[in-house]
Amino acid sequence: MMDRTLKALSLTLSYPSAELQGAMPEIGAVLGADPRIAPDTRAALQALADGLGRGDLFDVQESYVMLFDRSRTLSLNLFEHVHGESRDRGGAMVSLIETYRGGGFEPATSELPDHLPVLLEFLASRPASEARETLADAAHILDALGVRLVRRESGYAAVFEALKQLSGAKADAEAVAEMLAHPDDDPTDLAALDAVWEETEVTFGPDPNAGCPQVRDMLAQMDKPAPNPMNRSA
Amino acid sequence: MSHLLDKLNFFQSKELEQFSDGWGQTTRENRDWEDTYRNRWRHDKIVRSTHGVNCTGSCSWKIYVKSGIVTWETQQTDYPRTRAGLPNHEPRGCARGASYSWYLYSANRVKNPLIRGALMRAWRKMRETMTPVAAWAAIQSDPILRASYTKTRGKGGFVRASWDEATEIVAAANAYTAKTYGPDRVFGFSPIPAMSMVSYAAGSRYLSLLGGTCMSFYDWYCDLPPASPQTWGEQTDVPESADWYNAGFLMLWGSNVPQTRTPDAHFYTEVRYRGTKSAVVSPDYSEAAKFGDIWLNPQAGTDAALAMAMGHVILRDYHLDRQAEYFEEYARKYTDMPMLVRLDEKDGHFVPGRMLRAEDFDDKLGETNNPDWKTVAYDEASGQIVAPNGSIGFRWGEEGSWNLEERAKGSETKLRLSQILDGDHDEVIGVDFPYFGGAATGDFVKCDHPEVLTRNIPARRVTLADGKEVLVATVFDLFCGNYGLDRGLGGGWVSKDFNDDSPYTPAWAEKITGVAREKIIAVAREFAGNAEKTRGKSMVILGAGLNHWYHMDMAYRGIINMLVMCGCIGQEGGGWSHYVGQEKLRPQTGWQPLAFALDWNRPPRHMNSTSAWYAHTDQWRYETLSAGEILSPTAPEGDWDISLIDYNIRAERMGWLPSAPQLKTNPLEVSKKAKAAGKDIPTFVAEQLKSGDLQMSCEDPDAPENWPRNLFVWRSNLLGSSGKGHEYFLKHLLGTDHGVMGKDLGEEGGVMPIEAVWHDEAPKGKLDLLVTIDFRMSTTCVYSDIVLPTASWYEKDDLNTSDMHPFIHPLQAAVDPAYESRSDWEIFKSIARKFSEVAPEVLGVETDIVQLPLLHDTPGELAQAHVKDWKKGECDLIPGKTAPNYIAVERDYPNLYKKFTSVGPLLEKLGNGGKGITWDTKVEVGHLRDLNGVVQDEGVSKGHAKLETAIDAAEMILMLAPETNGEVAVKAWEELEKPTGRHHAHLAEGAHHTKIRFRDIAAQPRKIISSPTWSGIESEDVCYNAGYTNVHELIPWRTLTGRQQIYQDHLWMRAFGEGFVSYRPPVDLKTITAAVNNDAAEGSPHVVLNFITPHQKWGIHSTYTDNLLMLTLNRGGPVVWMSEVDAQKAGLVDNDWVEAYNINGALTARVVVSQRIKQGTLFMYHAQEKIVNTPGSEKTGHRGGIHNSVTRTTLKPTHMIGGYAQLSYGFNYYGTVGSNRDEFVIVRKMKKVDWLDTPATRKVEAAE
Repeated sequence: MMDRTLKALSLTLSYPSAELQGAMPEIGAVLGADPRIAPDTRAALQALADGLGRGDLFDVQESYVMLFDRSRTLSLNLFEHVHGESRDRGGAMVSLIETYRGGGFEPATSELPDHLPVLLEFLASRPASEARETLADAAHILDALGVRLVRRESGYAAVFEALKQLSGAKADAEAVAEMLAHPDDDPTDLAALDAVWEETEVTFGPDPNAGCPQVRDMLAQMDKPAPNPMNRSA
Repeated sequence: MSHLLDKLNFFQSKELEQFSDGWGQTTRENRDWEDTYRNRWRHDKIVRSTHGVNCTGSCSWKIYVKSGIVTWETQQTDYPRTRAGLPNHEPRGCARGASYSWYLYSANRVKNPLIRGALMRAWRKMRETMTPVAAWAAIQSDPILRASYTKTRGKGGFVRASWDEATEIVAAANAYTAKTYGPDRVFGFSPIPAMSMVSYAAGSRYLSLLGGTCMSFYDWYCDLPPASPQTWGEQTDVPESADWYNAGFLMLWGSNVPQTRTPDAHFYTEVRYRGTKSAVVSPDYSEAAKFGDIWLNPQAGTDAALAMAMGHVILRDYHLDRQAEYFEEYARKYTDMPMLVRLDEKDGHFVPGRMLRAEDFDDKLGETNNPDWKTVAYDEASGQIVAPNGSIGFRWGEEGSWNLEERAKGSETKLRLSQILDGDHDEVIGVDFPYFGGAATGDFVKCDHPEVLTRNIPARRVTLADGKEVLVATVFDLFCGNYGLDRGLGGGWVSKDFNDDSPYTPAWAEKITGVAREKIIAVAREFAGNAEKTRGKSMVILGAGLNHWYHMDMAYRGIINMLVMCGCIGQEGGGWSHYVGQEKLRPQTGWQPLAFALDWNRPPRHMNSTSAWYAHTDQWRYETLSAGEILSPTAPEGDWDISLIDYNIRAERMGWLPSAPQLKTNPLEVSKKAKAAGKDIPTFVAEQLKSGDLQMSCEDPDAPENWPRNLFVWRSNLLGSSGKGHEYFLKHLLGTDHGVMGKDLGEEGGVMPIEAVWHDEAPKGKLDLLVTIDFRMSTTCVYSDIVLPTASWYEKDDLNTSDMHPFIHPLQAAVDPAYESRSDWEIFKSIARKFSEVAPEVLGVETDIVQLPLLHDTPGELAQAHVKDWKKGECDLIPGKTAPNYIAVERDYPNLYKKFTSVGPLLEKLGNGGKGITWDTKVEVGHLRDLNGVVQDEGVSKGHAKLETAIDAAEMILMLAPETNGEVAVKAWEELEKPTGRHHAHLAEGAHHTKIRFRDIAAQPRKIISSPTWSGIESEDVCYNAGYTNVHELIPWRTLTGRQQIYQDHLWMRAFGEGFVSYRPPVDLKTITAAVNNDAAEGSPHVVLNFITPHQKWGIHSTYTDNLLMLTLNRGGPVVWMSEVDAQKAGLVDNDWVEAYNINGALTARVVVSQRIKQGTLFMYHAQEKIVNTPGSEKTGHRGGIHNSVTRTTLKPTHMIGGYAQLSYGFNYYGTVGSNRDEFVIVRKMKKVDWLDTPATRKVEAAE
């Protein structure tokens, strides 16, 4: 039995095509009918589906490319947000593929396994508890993406709100805050940028054993378990 | 995952077994936890690949793959061993390479074909009712539709497309352009084939079958040192890095080896342990500076002065006061120094003129073949003037005497170097030499001496065939005069004392460069002293930074002269090591037929990019430099005072430089008219050009017929990295927002060109279509109409070579291309397929006319002994002689795909070859049929060898090239034996049966085989060293004299004062005008600095700076470097946001204030992407530019010379170069940082 809501969310986050536009009323209906989702979120989802279905195809495509293909901080590849440029990313994708295979599926897409619509489609076929658990694991990422989309006044934010509700989990506020602490792609203030890139001043003090503050900071940075990407591209 | 239950916390068992004398102990604890680590490093396979980014490393990497995902990479360590006594190559690789796999799954990756939304909208609408070409034509003929996407370039708005649709648009645009304007309006820019030969060849093969224009890169990048072709007739040939280890004295001159040649730097470290002394010349305290036993820091841009002074010392100490025997013998045998130069009289003064030729003498000295191209010298053995073997006249039209044996007409000779001895000269005569050091721009030191310096030279009177008596001098004597050396002949401007303030002494150089004279003298003496003791083992590793100045030839020739004076060229451990990118495509002659479709039709269309971009981005309309400013005060009579673009146009019509587009009328139509007129093509074109009915496109670059219409950019970041005059590209070529702040000559009321047609209104948006093929969303992609996602370097099969090591290396598809990407080979194959489907709508089998310049290494290099312009009535227009050649080429457009995917018949019919020799290659083509299989489908390709996959293409390269096929190498050497009359095949014999295939190099990098394409050899006795076969096999250099040419006697060289080397200060580009510098007007703090763009440590070579791993090590966004003194002047502190600007545009960056930087200079590292953290510019109101936003390229007439021995055109061999270091910028603190983060065009989002 497929979870049609997760499948519908997977489709909503897919690249808009004429075919997908045609299916939007149906998708909107599924999303509007799921009692697991709060009424105002359902309304927002229906509005999103409606907009995607009726909007000019080129406009919705351009907007999709700009949001999800071009903005690193909105990437739908989840590991971009977890592992960033770290070497763990390859390994994490490998275990995800193995999870899919373990679930009886072979990926048949050119998308990477950590692409959110791929994951949602997979979860749609999994037992509800497992789906909830997986979404709960990713709650802080989904939450952060949602916040960023809200900032951009994008209707896609409703998808992430819905996922949060479906997971039943409360995202680890600290983790979300940490992700959001890294500025968005379109940084608005200079101070935030300074905080990211500024190096520690090197001081040549009287104490020869005091160590180099730059190295200390670098080591501290390395000690962090999963470094977040510091992405500033526009 | 807790292991607490399995582990003992409070006990240790006493019954533990011990081994290894108690050092080892067996435990009984559960050790499953170790599996975490085992699994972490588990993988399915390891694949060998490398990074194709124009980095000379060409390092072998192991790519680890698990479940079809690249997980990490590590350095390979299985290079073939070097010979005994030499350190090994490995480990190779650097932090940049190790971070590369980040790109594969980076969010910056291009995942799908992307098309500008407005274009897609128009296309779909047209396609509802129209065929593809008609649809494209409809869009182009509607100015509003066309503007809807051209004006939004660089402003986002992409939608995804399927491959089918994307390739259909490209194919339709190409077909429309070929039909409407001519196929040469389809341009393709891709650099450095050696970094991924098959990927380059994919695009150039498509273009060459189409009749499109392949654009050069080496000259445009300004990495081509014109001094190399000028001196040696060789594009660039250098020692491998292992040869550094053989050097006895090693100079690093403007090269930052540890930073930019990281995997090779160990040879430099190691040779210092062997006792080799090293001098480092670098204006800033670079990473290399700390390796130097001595550090010389000249003012940037004054290197020629330093080299001249060192040359002055070497000549004084080793050639005049004492003649080092080795140096003298070397000079006589391997340089043009003994050759005789005629002294021309002008207004009672004498200046060095042409080299005398056999033609000038009675009976032409017995030479019937090319006597005008055989230089002469005085032979001490016979007491006669002779035309010694080896000059270029011997290369063509006869066999057996094109060699450096000391012979003339079969007799042994001993050429006289100098006429200084009393009996050897008839008189001592004052000869004029130009001096340029008296005027200098900006803060450069002016060293005031007259602009003409007359020096006494020993000369001899000689009677010529026409009965005229002339004065002649040897090159050596003039050379010594040029360096200002007193030889006891009296007269002025020569000196005996290094402390004299007279041009080219160390004391003079100290004033200009800021380097103490003692240091100059010490380094020169040690350099030469070592060379004398070791027979030439002094080496200069030269960084291309010096080559990026307008007068780069002077610095380079100054340094080359030092090496020539000391006999270092062609000697192991010695020589000229100019390292730039991967300029060395080792299997070049195997690659050319694939890349330029020479197996199907010849010749291809090649274009020198500098001249093309100068014209088509309209940078010429803003030219501030006049020829008069760079002309020599000793120039012969002539109409020299014309614009730089006029020089280029003259060079094109005399057949010196190529053109693109070529003719204003579509060549497919011209051929039809010729046929209708019943005339052959060259005759018809010549008549029409003379009558003016046909015009060359170069004369009117702004006429719509002459615009480049389609541009492919692949393997390149043209707009983000190499596009000098970036803002002009945006303004005129692309027609979008730009930051140009200056006015053009029309608005300024400047001096107008006389050859180029001026349009008051400059075109904006010449390109109909810009297609970029890349794996990452680069600055160029952002400005493109179509972006096609390509395979990265771990996702495709390809070949890679470098000049730093002698191995040929593969790139391999460790995994399939991610997302929707495809390899370049597959992309162009699919465009070719689509083109063949679409083209029949408007094109069938057509006759194209290709305009071909007079080429180096062909008999055409003997075309013009004298400069004559047919358009000025100085001679008749004879295609291939006084003008370019015009050659008919059949284009079978419907069969383009079949030709693309098979090896055509011309290789068997015409053979293969390069650099002036041709060999039969039927055997190899037969082997390719066996190896790749034979096309079975009906049609033009039936029965030919297949070229389906990138590996098929790689096999074609490897099979045809002498470097990778020993049998071909032996054949090639045997061919060279004909002109030289000497035995060379021994260099490859024994390698007869060595045939390197793709799978061999996948197993291990393979060392190549010695081939006549290159001047060094691969051997177990010596390292690869350029010029080795010239010195040791007596194969002439491919120059006028056949020797190293330190005197350039071409009319234009003499006119521009570069017959001999001199110091020429940077040119004044006048980019800091009162109008633009409102900081000066307002009295706000600012500083004017010289702007230079070296290579960095944190970018992926010269191409990208967006790798987060690398950016994290630096400051992230764009930075510029400045000295503390300059920072103080402008009121700046470290990390401030600054704006740097001039009339060309503006850029924004953070400032790094460092003691490392010399005062007066601003550094901005190469290729910091506009897409990464660049705020808006206050000056232009647009997003701050890249490093090239403040540059504009300008041309040098001496680089346009053609049809004259080594000064003849070759693709990436000779031609104008894109210099950019003479530029100045105003730097000031930014008042307000605006990130321009509101969308340019607000899009209605779906949910709103």
